[in-house]
Amino acid sequence: MTPFSRRAFTAAAAASLLAGCGGHPAGRTTAAPSTGGRPPSSPSPAKAARPLGRSVPVRLLIPAIGVDTPVIRLGLAPDGRVQVPPVTAHDRAGWYRHSPTPGQVGPAVILGHVTVGSFGDGVFRHLTGLRRGDRVVARLENGTAAEFAVTAVRTVAKADFPADDVYGDVDRPELRLITCGGPRSGDGYLDNVIVFAALTSAGP
Amino acid sequence: MRRTVLSAMTLACTAVLASTAPAFADEASPVPSAPAAEATPAPRAEPTRGSARAVPVPREEPAQKRDRGQVAVVPEGAPDTGVTATSAGSGSGSEGALIGGGAAAVLAAGGAAVLVVRRRATGA
Repeated sequence: MTPFSRRAFTAAAAASLLAGCGGHPAGRTTAAPSTGGRPPSSPSPAKAARPLGRSVPVRLLIPAIGVDTPVIRLGLAPDGRVQVPPVTAHDRAGWYRHSPTPGQVGPAVILGHVTVGSFGDGVFRHLTGLRRGDRVVARLENGTAAEFAVTAVRTVAKADFPADDVYGDVDRPELRLITCGGPRSGDGYLDNVIVFAALTSAGP
Repeated sequence: MRRTVLSAMTLACTAVLASTAPAFADEASPVPSAPAAEATPAPRAEPTRGSARAVPVPREEPAQKRDRGQVAVVPEGAPDTGVTATSAGSGSGSEGALIGGGAAAVLAAGGAAVLVVRRRATGA
């Protein structure tokens, strides 16, 4: 091998290495270690609070994981699935408008992305970091706020999505926060992370 | 001389190929998200169970199956609330790929130019 050839090979190797480093960030991030199996729902009753009247949520705050986001309204997609917030740089949470509003008796459902493709982290990126008792506040359109306490965090396979636990009737005001998690598959995730919370107080 | 040019071209091609492949993979981010808000409040008709004609109605049923519960319309399946495609967590996935690929291409081109010039200078 002549010195020139050697140089050429060295340059090629360096170039390939550079290109490889730049092009593979996707593989680097393994999905968040999906919160170890929290006990399944049956949220232990937090301190009971009086239910609120119907008022659409406009903002969501989860101090424990630094979430402070506007809340948009979501409906159903044409395929019957729940809509999700648009994939944008400024990711927001969305309230499923066929569910009760936060503070009403029943499961209010709020969804957010864990990641938003090339934009990076989604608004619910750290949802798995929530622990029982953590505070979740939904500010409502009428100026009041519904405060919830986390009762359980579950990571479930999408194939076994617990629709009854999430959307089923309950006898008090509750909240469901939903995002994705677990192993990646193609451009999505195999699991859902669901946070269950119960109303603890309400006020302006 | 010819060998030098050939090796330089090989070098450039290697770098370009190595950089473009991951970049393409990154771009493919078929976002499953519907553009949000104010969607159709499910204009989905009933499951057509009574109608004699079997007109293929877009599957309907499950979304409506638990009417009048606290959740008026239960969605089908699990929500797709995560788009990976590129680097989740760093927030600069495709940019990183482009920068890496571009840098590799520039490096390769520069290396090739240097080789050619040196070869010419030495008359090899």
